[in-house]
Formats: sequence, structure tokens, C-alpha cells
Amino acid sequence: MNRIPLRFHLNDAEIGEFIDSGTTLLSLLRDKLGLTATKSGCNQGSCGACTVLINGAPQLSCLVLAARCEGKSVATLEGVSDNGTLHPLQRAFMDGFAAQCGFCTPGMIIAAKALLDRNPDPDRGEVIDAISGNICRCTGYEPIIDAILAAAAEMRGGKRKSA
Amino acid sequence: MAKQRGRGMASVNYPTGMNLGGDPSQALIHATTTGSFVVTLSSVDLGQGLKTIMAQICAETLGIPTDNVIVDTADTDTGPHCMGTFASRGTHRIGNAIIMAAKEARAVLLEVAAEELEVNAADLETDGKGNIQIKGSPGKSISVLETALAAHFKHGRTISGRGIFLQPRSYPEPETGRMTPATCYAHACTVAEVEVDTETGEVAVLSLKSAYEVGRALNPRMVEQQIVGGAWMGISHALYETTEPYYPDRAHGPVDFNEYLMPGPGDLPKFENVVIERPAPDGPYGAKGVGEMTANSPIPAIANAIYDAVGVRIDSLPITPEKVLRALKAQAA
Amino acid sequence: MSVALRAAASPREACRHIARRDARLIAGGTLVMNEINNRETVTASLVDLASLRLRSIKIANSRVTLGAMTSMADIAAHPKLKFLKPVVTAIGGPAVRNMATVGGNLHAEAPYGDLGVALLALDARVTLETARQRKTMRLEDFYAQHRKLGAYLVTAVNFALPGANRFFFTKAIRRKPVSASVVAVAAHLPRKGKRLAGPRIALGAMAPHPIRAKAAETALDGKALDETTIAAAASAATEGSAPASDPYASAWYRREIAPVYLARLLAQAAGQKS
Ligand SMILES: Cc1cc2nc3c(=O)[nH]c(=O)nc-3n(C[C@H](O)[C@H](O)[C@H](O)COP(=O)(O)OP(=O)(O)OC[C@H]3O[C@@H](n4cnc5c(N)ncnc54)[C@H](O)[C@@H]3O)c2cc1C
Ligand code: FES
Ligand code: FES
Repeated sequence: MNRIPLRFHLNDAEIGEFIDSGTTLLSLLRDKLGLTATKSGCNQGSCGACTVLINGAPQLSCLVLAARCEGKSVATLEGVSDNGTLHPLQRAFMDGFAAQCGFCTPGMIIAAKALLDRNPDPDRGEVIDAISGNICRCTGYEPIIDAILAAAAEMRGGKRKSA
Repeated sequence: MAKQRGRGMASVNYPTGMNLGGDPSQALIHATTTGSFVVTLSSVDLGQGLKTIMAQICAETLGIPTDNVIVDTADTDTGPHCMGTFASRGTHRIGNAIIMAAKEARAVLLEVAAEELEVNAADLETDGKGNIQIKGSPGKSISVLETALAAHFKHGRTISGRGIFLQPRSYPEPETGRMTPATCYAHACTVAEVEVDTETGEVAVLSLKSAYEVGRALNPRMVEQQIVGGAWMGISHALYETTEPYYPDRAHGPVDFNEYLMPGPGDLPKFENVVIERPAPDGPYGAKGVGEMTANSPIPAIANAIYDAVGVRIDSLPITPEKVLRALKAQAA
Repeated sequence: MSVALRAAASPREACRHIARRDARLIAGGTLVMNEINNRETVTASLVDLASLRLRSIKIANSRVTLGAMTSMADIAAHPKLKFLKPVVTAIGGPAVRNMATVGGNLHAEAPYGDLGVALLALDARVTLETARQRKTMRLEDFYAQHRKLGAYLVTAVNFALPGANRFFFTKAIRRKPVSASVVAVAAHLPRKGKRLAGPRIALGAMAPHPIRAKAAETALDGKALDETTIAAAASAATEGSAPASDPYASAWYRREIAPVYLARLLAQAAGQKS
């Protein structure tokens, strides 16, 4: 076993842990830190359920060795709501029936947040691209796309740009 | 470049539930001392929204707010038996079981309230907001919470109910083969529009327009969402999904979700759906099952639309670009 | 399984380390980690290239140099590399693009390797280091030889900036907006007057690694890009190709549509309506 020390910034906390050097970020989050919002759908990079933000950019935590996060900042769904107040994306997903089984939802919201953080006024095509690495088996994507556009409009404080 | 458009339609009659050795499901309901009611099931919510619908049905029957219903589907070892959530049976079978259980619990609820208010239970009604009142004089009332506390601490009664819905086994008549496998059927019709690229065999679904007759839509937004999600799955079965892309040759099967093809968010057609409500006599508040059928009619509708577009009949799924291209080449030869 | 991760101290040191059979380089990790998670590999030791400062995009004297650790997202965001945007945004979703690197893409097997297809059409040179020396070779030669090079590490690729409207890329996919290639086609079409001068066509998913469609190039060279020329190039498109069958498409289908996608790309380049 290669036990190594790891320090990184996770949501609002500084994390210091000893980890096995082969541990993926996904496994560290779920199995060791108990943050289970981030889902393990395939462990192959092909479903997007494990999407987290690393230094603000979406990455697949199943394909990231935790050891490579040393000194970085990781954001998961747990950090998206503000002290119990849901993020507009979370509310839009609820209001728009954009979650059925909910398994894809954490990855979808993180992927969407990465888009909106950078582009507050995306068009439909940009939303589709933003979630193109995330699979949903239930909803048919349509309500997810609509929810992201609705959240973007709400966050801009204005009306939705005509799609 | 040649792109040909076509339109196809298909209809589906879908039986609610199934008929193997009879089709039962049970529900148990009890009040807690917080004024909430717990519905215990071993049915499973896998994203179809079972918990929401069951809470609605329970709340409607008991006459309390939906927020005061807790649906517990945690344990199939300890819960009352359910055949399962398949065959589009959940809303109908489990919903009916819940109505039966909730009626029994409601009777006890009103009896205890009657004793507390010193009136006849037959004179009581619920206001749907968590109170029980005397019909015609809402001033005289007791809350469900107070009633639940009184039942537990003063009257020594459980406010509870047992429910089961059994669709009995139907045997075929030996002479005719006639049987009654289901008591209600939902209906739908889908029209698909596609565009076929005649040089590559690629098919794009442009629109899926459907009309659904579902009994009563207990939660219209969820029915709509089931139809959209199901239509997507229908496209997926029609054009993408397979574990054996070269069947009967079993080689080159997919090993991950990249290779196991399904439509992406860039493959969505325009969806248009109409829901028609014709309440089923034996459905819970008139509901039929609108589950699996949503993935059914899009498939033949798409196959028919491809035929309409380019005149080739593909009769095995999924209809891959390769199958279309091979058929087009055979047609030209 | 336990995997040791060590930061590469220098390209040479990394090469010395991966000369051991159970050690591998890890760049973006999108392919390596997949294999490790699937337990398809005996890799016990990963040498992390992130420490080597190979993430850079330099443009000087009309030549572009991409450090091996440059990500697809870095390329997509670069204002002078707009011609590569259709290539890199056709790879993975945004998360994969943030991780996937140039160096890794050169090692991705078909149907992956889309950036390599573009780089092959652009006649890119690969700079690599072994434990003993630094070499630069044509990408084409790299594809043919890299398995025989022993322990090496790609540090960069470089290529001449194509002229405006001289580089084209398209990709047939089974799932929109992104999916692995059924076939990928890149074309670099320099012109002298109205005629093509030294066109380069590269195909992806038509062999284990990206290949040039040399017969198609010959059909195009010195010709004006008209319907006849395009038809001739298309009918020569698959010469020398050896596509595989996989869940996306069969070898037969790839051979059938590669000419169609090439013809459409050339028609687009010619500015013709098709
Ligand atoms: C969901 C998903 C979708 C994808 N879609 C596409 C797609 O559409 N098109 C496409 O082309 N690819 C695709 N890929 C494959 C892959 O992400 C890319 O090809 C990527 O560029 C690989 O780079 P990497 O840095 O992640 O490679 P790694 O996994 O880090 O490495 C891959 C291999 O290359 C070797 N290597 C890496 N860097 C170097 C170097 N500098 N010198 C020597 N050897 C090196 C490694 O040792 C390893 O053997 C996809 C992957 C996933 C998971
Ligand atoms: S679990 Fe990481 S992409 Fe599926
Ligand atoms: S809601 Fe079930 S996978 Fe998306």
C-alpha cells in the first residue's frame, strides 16, 4: 500500500487525508469522505454521473486519481446549495420535472453549473454541448435542457432569450 | 446529397398489469403521533414517480395534505407484498390497495375524532388541510394531529388500515381461448417524422407527436414527463440500443456507455403530446397505467416513417444506418 | 489494486521509469484510468506528466507548437486555433475535453484519435524524448513506428498554421452532439490560384490509427476543386484503409460512407451547395 498525504480544498472545507495513491477522487469523495451526491455510474468515463469541478472546470472524478488533486479546489453538488437554500439550477430541475430517478442529476447540475459560471446566457445548442458527456436514462433530456435554460434566465434576473 | 423525409404512425393498446397467477399488491397505512400517515409498501420507486402518486392517492382518500404522507418503500423483506413495479401496474394495483387501506384508516380517524368532539362520526368531514370538522359547521373541529395523539394516549386505538388489490387469475376458456387478462387498457397513437440520408443510411427523427388515453392523469406533469422520457427510449430502441450490434454474430458487443448507443441530447425530435382522460371504472380515481407503453408506439411509427421516406422495410431492431444503407443498395440493385 | 503515482522529474527520468514493464505515463488519464478501473492493465506505477510544464500553446513564425499536456479545452479556447475547434469540440463532453491531452490523443486507438487525424492532415511533427535523446519526426512516421521506439515521451507537436479556409474537418457519429468516430475526415487544401497544391487528406477510424488517404490526395493534387475532382477523390478515399468493426459501425459501413463524408467535406471546401 502506498499511503500518501493529500491536501485539497473541497467545497467550503480544507481536507487533509491519508489516502492510497491508487484511490480515485470519486472513491475518496464517496467511500471515505461520505459525500455521496457524486454518483458512480460506470467508472469508465462514459456516463458523467461523477462530474465534479476541479479548479472550476468539469472533470470526471472516476478518471481522476485523488492524489492529482493536491492543492486544487474541488466542488461537488454538496457545495452547490447555499446553507440550505437551493441553487437556481436545483430549483429549476425540481420545478421542471428534470429528475426522475435522479441518478444523473448531480452530474447534470455540476455540468450545467460549469456552463453557467462561464456563460450566463447560453443558447440551446450550448446547453446540449454542456451536458453531452452526461447520460440520462429517464427524462429524454428535454426537461433537463429546459431547466438549465430556465435557471440561466432566472440567474440573469431577466427573461429567457428566445430559443 | 439526398435527404428524404417520411411520416409513419403506430397505435398501441396497453393492458394495465399482467395476469400470471393473479396480480396482487398490498399496502399498510398507519398514523404516527405527529399527525402524519405512513404508507408502507414493498413497491419500488425507480424514477417513475411511484412515491409521489401513492402519497397523492393516500392524501386524497384520507382527506389530509399530501405533505403529511410518508411513503416508505424501504424494505421488501418487511413490507407488505407487492408483485413489483412493471407491466405499468404500479399506479393501478398499488393505488387501489392504498385506497382500501386509507378508507379503513379514515374510518378510525373519524371515529376517534367523533369521540373527541362528542358527535356522530357520520357527521364529520375532513377539510384537506389537516383538520376534521362537523359538516356544515367548520367552527367545530379537531386537527388530525390532536386526533392521532388522542387515539394513541387516550383511546388506545391505532389509526391504521390494510389494503390489497387483487386482479384474480383469469383462465382461458378451453373452447375459444377467450380470457380476461386485464380490466383496463390505455391507448396511444404516435406519428413520427424522419429524415433519411440516402447516401449514408443515417436516420434523424424530426418529430414525435402522440395522443395518449390514460384514464385519469393523477399528476399531469408526471404523465407528460413519462411520455417524453418514454418516447426518447422508443427512439433509442428503434435506432440505437443493442448488446449485439451484428446479431446473430455476437462479436463487437458494447463494453461501456459510449459504445452502448442511445440518443444523445442532440438527437431530440420535437415532441408534441396530447393527453385524453377517460377515467377507468376500476382505476384509482380513474387512473390506468401509462408506463411502458410510452416506449412502444414510437418504434413502429419510426420504422413506418423510414419506409415512407425511402421505401425500405427494416424489420429488426435497432434500425442502424448500416441496415438502412444495405436495404437501399438492395433496392437499387 | 494499488497504483503508485510519481511525478515525473524530467522527460528523461520519466522514460527511464517507464522502461519498466508495469509502469505507464499518465497524461489526462481518460484512457489510462479507464483501463485501470476495468483492471485491464497490470500497471502498478504511473508516471504523472502534469509536473513537466508541457501544457502550452505557442505560435511563432506561423508555426504552432502544442505541448503534449495541452488539453482539448485549451485548444478550443485559443483564439488563433479556431480552425481546430470543430475537431476538439467533437471529442468527448466538456469534462473529457478538460482532461484529454494532445499527447494522449496521439496514443488513442481507433475509433479515437480525432485530433491526430487533424494533425496528420496538417503534416505535424512530433517531438519526443527517450532516455538518451530528443527526436523530431513526422506524425505519419510516429504512427508507423512508435510501438518500436521503446520508452519515450512525446513533449510537443508542431505544424504550420493553415491558411484561412484551407483546413476542414468532419466526423460521422452515432450519437449527437458527440460520440466516437464512425469515420473522421480532415483535409488541408492549400491552393495555387484555383488549383490545389499539395492537398493532405487524413482519415480516422479507418485503420488502427489515423491514416492519410494518399490516393485521394493524388486525385486532388493540381486540380481545381470541382465535381469531377471531388468524385475522383471520393472513389479513391478508402484505398489502403483497414477499418475495424466495432459497436459504432462495421468495417463495411465505414468503407461505404468514408467516400461520402470526404465528398461532402470537399464540396463544403469548394463552397458548393450539396
Ligand atoms: C467519454 C469519452 C469520450 C471520448 N471521446 C473521444 C473522441 O470523440 N475522440 C477522441 O479522439 N478521443 C475520445 N476519447 C478518448 C480520449 O479521451 C482522448 O483520445 C484523449 O486525448 C486521450 O488523452 P489523455 O491525456 O486522457 O490520455 P491518457 O489516458 O493519459 O493516456 C493515453 C495513453 O497515451 C500515453 N501517453 C499520454 N501522453 C503521452 C505522452 N506525452 N507521451 C507518450 N505517451 C503518452 C499514455 O501512457 C497512455 O498509454 C474519449 C474518452 C472518453 C472517456
Ligand atoms: S462514473 Fe465517471 S463517467 Fe461514469
Ligand atoms: S433522471 Fe434517471 S438517469 Fe436522469
